[in-house]
Amino acid sequence: MNMLKRYLTFAACSMVISSASFAQVKVGVIQGLSGPPAIVDFGESYLQGIRLALKDHEASGAKVKIELQVYDDEANPQRAVALAQRLIQSDKVPVAIGTVSSGNVLAMAPVFQKANIPLVAGPSIATQITAQFIGEKPSFIFRCSMVEKFQIDGMLDWGVKKFKRIGLIHSTTGYGNFAAKEIQDGIKTRGSSLALVEAAAPGVNDLTPQMVKMRDAGVELILNFHESFELVYRPMAKVNYRPVVAGNWGLSSMKVMEIVGREAIEGTVMGQALDMSQPRSKTFDERMRKEFGGAYRWPVLAALGYDAGQIVFKAVERVGKADPIAIRNAIESMDSLQAVSATPAKPFSPSDHECLDKEHVFLGVWKGGAVVKLMD
Amino acid sequence: MFARDALSGTRAPWLVYSAGFLACLLLPYAGFSGFVVHQLQTFCYTAIAVIGLNLLLGFSGQMSLGHAGFFAIGAYGSAITSLKLNWPIYLSIPFGTALSFFAGALVGVFALRTRGLYLAMTTLAFGFIVDIAAQRWVDLTGGTMGLMLIPQVGGSSMSSASFNYLALCLVCLLLVQMAADFISETASGRSLRALRESEIFAASVGLNVPIWRAATFAFGSACAGLAGSLFAHQSGFIGSDAFTVRLSVAMLIAAVIGGLGTRSGPLLGTAILLVIVETIAGQEKFGLIIYGLILLFVLLIFPEGAAGAIGRLSSKFASGAKSIVYNVTKLGLPFNQFNGLQLEVKGLVKKYHGVTAVDSVSFKVKAGSIHGLIGPNGAGKSTVINVIAGVYTHDGGSVILGDHDLGFKGTAQRASLGLARTFQNLQLIQAITVAENVMLGFKPRWSLARTFFDWLSLKGCERADFEDALSVLQFLGVDDTAKKLPSEISFGHRKLVELARAIAQQPVVLLLDEPIAGLNTAEAKKIAEVVRQLKSLGVTILLVEHNMEFVMSLCDEVSVLHYGRLIATGTPAEIQANAEVIAAYLGSKGSTDD
Amino acid sequence: MQLTISGLTMGSIYALVAMGLYIAHLTTHRVNFGQGDYMMVAGFLVLGLGRLGLHAILSVLVSICMLGLMGYFLERVAIRPLDRFKRISVGAYGWILTTAGLALIAQNSVELVWGKSAQYSPPLFSSKRDQMVTIFGARFLLEELIVIIVAMTVVACFLWLIKKSRWGKAIQVVAFNPETAELLGINTKSVKIFAFVVASVLAGVAGVLIGPIVTLQPHMGLVFTIKALIVATVGGFSNPVGILIGGFLFGICEAYSNYFDSQFGDLYPLLIALGMVALRPSGIFSERSDDVR
Repeated sequence: MNMLKRYLTFAACSMVISSASFAQVKVGVIQGLSGPPAIVDFGESYLQGIRLALKDHEASGAKVKIELQVYDDEANPQRAVALAQRLIQSDKVPVAIGTVSSGNVLAMAPVFQKANIPLVAGPSIATQITAQFIGEKPSFIFRCSMVEKFQIDGMLDWGVKKFKRIGLIHSTTGYGNFAAKEIQDGIKTRGSSLALVEAAAPGVNDLTPQMVKMRDAGVELILNFHESFELVYRPMAKVNYRPVVAGNWGLSSMKVMEIVGREAIEGTVMGQALDMSQPRSKTFDERMRKEFGGAYRWPVLAALGYDAGQIVFKAVERVGKADPIAIRNAIESMDSLQAVSATPAKPFSPSDHECLDKEHVFLGVWKGGAVVKLMD
Repeated sequence: MFARDALSGTRAPWLVYSAGFLACLLLPYAGFSGFVVHQLQTFCYTAIAVIGLNLLLGFSGQMSLGHAGFFAIGAYGSAITSLKLNWPIYLSIPFGTALSFFAGALVGVFALRTRGLYLAMTTLAFGFIVDIAAQRWVDLTGGTMGLMLIPQVGGSSMSSASFNYLALCLVCLLLVQMAADFISETASGRSLRALRESEIFAASVGLNVPIWRAATFAFGSACAGLAGSLFAHQSGFIGSDAFTVRLSVAMLIAAVIGGLGTRSGPLLGTAILLVIVETIAGQEKFGLIIYGLILLFVLLIFPEGAAGAIGRLSSKFASGAKSIVYNVTKLGLPFNQFNGLQLEVKGLVKKYHGVTAVDSVSFKVKAGSIHGLIGPNGAGKSTVINVIAGVYTHDGGSVILGDHDLGFKGTAQRASLGLARTFQNLQLIQAITVAENVMLGFKPRWSLARTFFDWLSLKGCERADFEDALSVLQFLGVDDTAKKLPSEISFGHRKLVELARAIAQQPVVLLLDEPIAGLNTAEAKKIAEVVRQLKSLGVTILLVEHNMEFVMSLCDEVSVLHYGRLIATGTPAEIQANAEVIAAYLGSKGSTDD
Repeated sequence: MQLTISGLTMGSIYALVAMGLYIAHLTTHRVNFGQGDYMMVAGFLVLGLGRLGLHAILSVLVSICMLGLMGYFLERVAIRPLDRFKRISVGAYGWILTTAGLALIAQNSVELVWGKSAQYSPPLFSSKRDQMVTIFGARFLLEELIVIIVAMTVVACFLWLIKKSRWGKAIQVVAFNPETAELLGINTKSVKIFAFVVASVLAGVAGVLIGPIVTLQPHMGLVFTIKALIVATVGGFSNPVGILIGGFLFGICEAYSNYFDSQFGDLYPLLIALGMVALRPSGIFSERSDDVR
C-alpha cells in the first residue's frame, strides 16, 4: 500500500513539475532593424509577420508561453555572429529566426549548426543558405523566404520570351554582383544576351546617368537589382523613357509604390510568393494593416515572416519544452501548416529545407495598386 | 594627463607584466561560455586598435577618422594570405600588421602637410576609399559577401580552439600595452606630447617633426592592422560591411571615453564601449538616442575620460603617494664645458610678400661671447633669430656656425648641431611637468633596447635624466618646481624653466629671444647672472632684448637693426655714443624698460 | 544635358551644406558633424508638416525656423561647453563627438516619428510630380532647375551677409582673432551663436530643397556631411564663391563619372578631391600658423 501511495504521489508530483515546465520557451530573433531602408524594410516587415503570428498563436490557446528575444544585427556579420552566440549561450534559446543579409546568415548559420540549435533563416535569399548544410545529418538550418535562383529563373524565362532588348542595373554590393552574375549566366543559357549592364553604388541618390544610357541603348526591359528600388523610376520622366521594369521581390514593397507613384509602378514585374487577388491574402493584408497601421508596408515579407513564425511556434507547441533537437524534428516533419504565402502545408523534408520551392514561386505584377499574380 | 594617470605606480614594470602574462595563459581556460570568450576576444583586438588610436590622437595630436581603413587592410592582408596562399596564421597575422604599418606610413607622409580638422578630413576620405575598395573589389575581398572559411587557430575541440585563440589575443594585447606604456613613460612619450602642443618647439629641441609624425601614424596604423588580423581569424569570416566609417567613429569614442593620452584609457574605453553596445543591442527603437546621449554626457562631464576621472579620484584619496625620492648628488650643471662656436651671419635677407624684413644683415658673434641684437620695434630682430634657428628660410645670404654653412637646414637639424633657442612667447609643454620639459632638451642617453630593459626593471633610466634635469633647474634656482606643471608656476619661473631647457640641450650657440620680457628687476638680474655664468662656461650667446641696461651691461658686442638694416655694430660704449642709433631710437642712452 | 542639370542640382545642395560648414568653421574652428543629418531633419519636417495639411510655404518657413533653433541648441550644448576644456587633448576634437552624438539623436528621433523607411516628398515648386519644362528644345525637370536658382540666390544673400552686413563683418573679426574682437566691443558669444544658427539654416534650406529630388530616409545624413566637408575643403579658398563653384564641380563630376563608369563612379570625385587637396592643402581648414614673434 505504501509503495502504491508513494508511486502515485511521485507520479502526481512529476506531472505537476512537468506541466510547470510547459512554462516558457524563448525564441530568438535576429533581424536587420537599423541602417539603410534596403535592410530595415525587410527586417521590420518580417518581424511584423512574426509578431502577428505570435499573437494568433497565443489566441489559439497555446499551452506553451513563447517569448521573443529580438536583437538587431545592424547589418553587420560580426554582430550577427556575436548575437547568435548570445542567444545560444546567454539566452539559451532552443530555436531562432533570422536575418536579412545573406552574408550575416552565412556567417552565423555554422554557429547554430554546430550548437545543434535550429535556425529558420529569413528573409535572406541567397541560394546556398540551406544548400550548404543540407548534407549534414541532420541539418539544423531551414529557410522561409524567397530563394534568389527561383525568382531569377522565373523572371528570365518570362523576359526572354517577351522582350528583345534587356538591360540590367545592379548595385555593387556582394548581393548585387552575385545577382548580376546569376542573371548573366541565366540569360546565356537561354540563348540570349543583355543589351547593357550598368552598376551603381549602394548609397547613391540618383540613377539618371545609368537610365540615360539605357534609353540610348534602346532597352525595353530593365532588370532592377539595386537596393534603392525606387531610383530606377525617378529619372524616367526627365529622360523621357518608360521601359518595363522587373526585379526581385523588393519591388513589391508598398513603400516603393508610395515613392514612385501608382502610374509609374504599374506593370512592374517581380518574383512573388503572395498573390493579393487571393481572398486569404486580402484578409491577411487587412489584419496587418489593423495591427500595425502605417508601419506595415510589405505584404509578401510580412506573410513569410508570419509563416516562419507559425512554423516555429507550432513546433515549439508540439514539443512542449525547450528541446532544440525535438523542435528541429518537429519543424522538419510539420505537415498541417496553413500558410499565408505560397508555402505548402508540408514545407520541409529531410532533403528540402526551403519553405518555397521552385513551384511555389511565381511572378507578380503591380496592377491597380496591388501585386497580383502575373498571368501569361 | 600624464601626472594624473590612473595606473601610474612604482612597482617594477616587469613584475606587473609577468603577472599579466601569467593571467593571459590561465584566464582563457577558466571555463567561460562561448559567448563570453567571443566577447573577450573582441575586447582584446578592439583595445589593441584603440591603443593605436590613442597613440595617434592622444599623444601626437593627429586626428585619424579613418582608423577602420587600417583595420581593414590588416584584416584582408591576413585573411587573404592565410586563405588563398595557405600561409600559417602565425605568418599571416604579422603580414597583415606589416601591411597596415606601411599603409600608415604612406598616409602619414601624405598627410604631413595637413593639420587638425584638415588631417581628419584626409583620413576620413582614406577610410572611405578603403571601405569602397573592399566592397567593390569583389575578386580580392569577396565584397559584402566576404571571405569565408578563413583558417582559425586549432584546438582539440571547438571550445578549446576558441580558448587558444583567446590566449593569443590576450598575449598580443599585453605586448601592445607594454609597448604603449614604454612609449608613454619615457622620452618618446615626452617627445610626442611636445609634438602635439607645438611643432616649432619640438623641432627646436632636435625632433625631426615629419619623421615623428609619420612614424606615429605608422605605429598607430600597425596596431589597427594587428587588431584587424586578429579579427579576421576570430570567426573565420569577414565582409566589407564591417569596415565602415562607423567602426572608425566607434574606436574614436572608445579612445575618448577611456581618456585620451592616458595609459589605461584604451582598456577602460573599450570595455565601456562593449558594455554599451551589448546593452543597447535589444533596443532597436531607442538605440541611437541612448548612444548619442552617452556621448554627450561623457564629453561634457568627463572630458578626461574614465581614466582621467579615476585618476582624479585616486589622487584625492591617495594624496601621500609614495614616489621615488631623488637625491640630487651632483652640484651644478651635469656638463662641465660647452664648446661654443662662432656664429656668423653674412648678408642675410628675408622678404615677406614684397616687404623686406631683413635686408643684407651681417655680423659675427665670436665664440664664447655674448652678442646683443637691438633695435626699435619692427626692426626685424625676431626675424633674424628665427632665420638663424631655421624656422624661416632666408632669401639671401648665409648663416655660418663655426665654419659650417647651415644652408637650408631645418630647425631640427640645426638643433642637433648645437643651436638652442628660447622663445619670446614661451613654448613650454603644458601636458608634462617642468622637469620633463627640461628633459626634452637632452639627447637620448642609451640605445632603445637598453632603455627598454631599464624601464622594465625600473632601474630608472629616466632617473639619470631626471637628476640631470634637476641639476640644471637647481643651477637656475628653480629646482623646487621640478614636479609641477608649467601652468602651476609663476611667469618668471617659467622663463627660467625655458632657459633651463635650452641649457639642457648643451648648446654651442644659444639664441635668447627677449629673455627678460615681462620679468621684474630681481628676476631679470637672476637671468643676467645665469647668462654670465653660461658665458664663463664657454657658450656663445646671441640675445635679442629691448631693455638697454640689460643689454649694455651684459653684452660684449651689440648690433643695431633699423627697418631691417644693420646700422651699427660695436661695443656697448660705442653703440651708446652712436648718433644714428640714438636717432633711430629717438631716445636717450641707458633708458630702462618701458 | 540632363546630366549636367542633375549634377548642378546635387552640386548646389552640396554647396549649401558646405557653406554652413564654412561659416561655422570660420568663426569657431568647429563644425557640425551632423550637418547632413540636420538637412535630413529639415526635409522630413517639410514632409510631415505638409502631410498635416500645412501650406507648402508655411511648412518651409516653420522647418527653417526649427533648424535655426536647432543650430542655437547645437552651439549651446555641443560646442560652447567644450571651450572649457582647451587644455585637455579632447578639447580640440571633442566637438566631433558631441555634434555626432546630436546627429544620432536627431536621426533616431526622425525614425521614431516617421519610421525607418524611405519617404516620398512632394515637389515644392511644381504642381504635380515630374513636371517638365522645355527650354531650347530640351526637356528639364522643373524642380531641379528651381533648386539651382534658389541655391544660387541663397548663396548670393549669404555673400552679401558676410561681406557687407554688420553681422558679417563681426564674423570676420571674430574669425581673425576672438580676443581682438572682444576688445573691439564685439560680443563674440553672440557672433558664434549666430554663425551656428546660420549654418543650420543653410542646412535647412538644403533639406527643404532636396526632399522632392531624392528619396528621404533617416540614414542619408552622413554621406551628405562627408561630401559637403570635401567640397568645403577643396573649393574653400576662404571664399564662399569658391565653395559654390566647388559644389557645382563636385556634383557634375559625380554625375558624369557615374555615367562613364557606373561601377566605381562614386570613387572618382573622392579621389580627385583628395588629389586637389594634396596639391593645394590650403583649404579653409588651414590652421593659423604659430606666431613665433
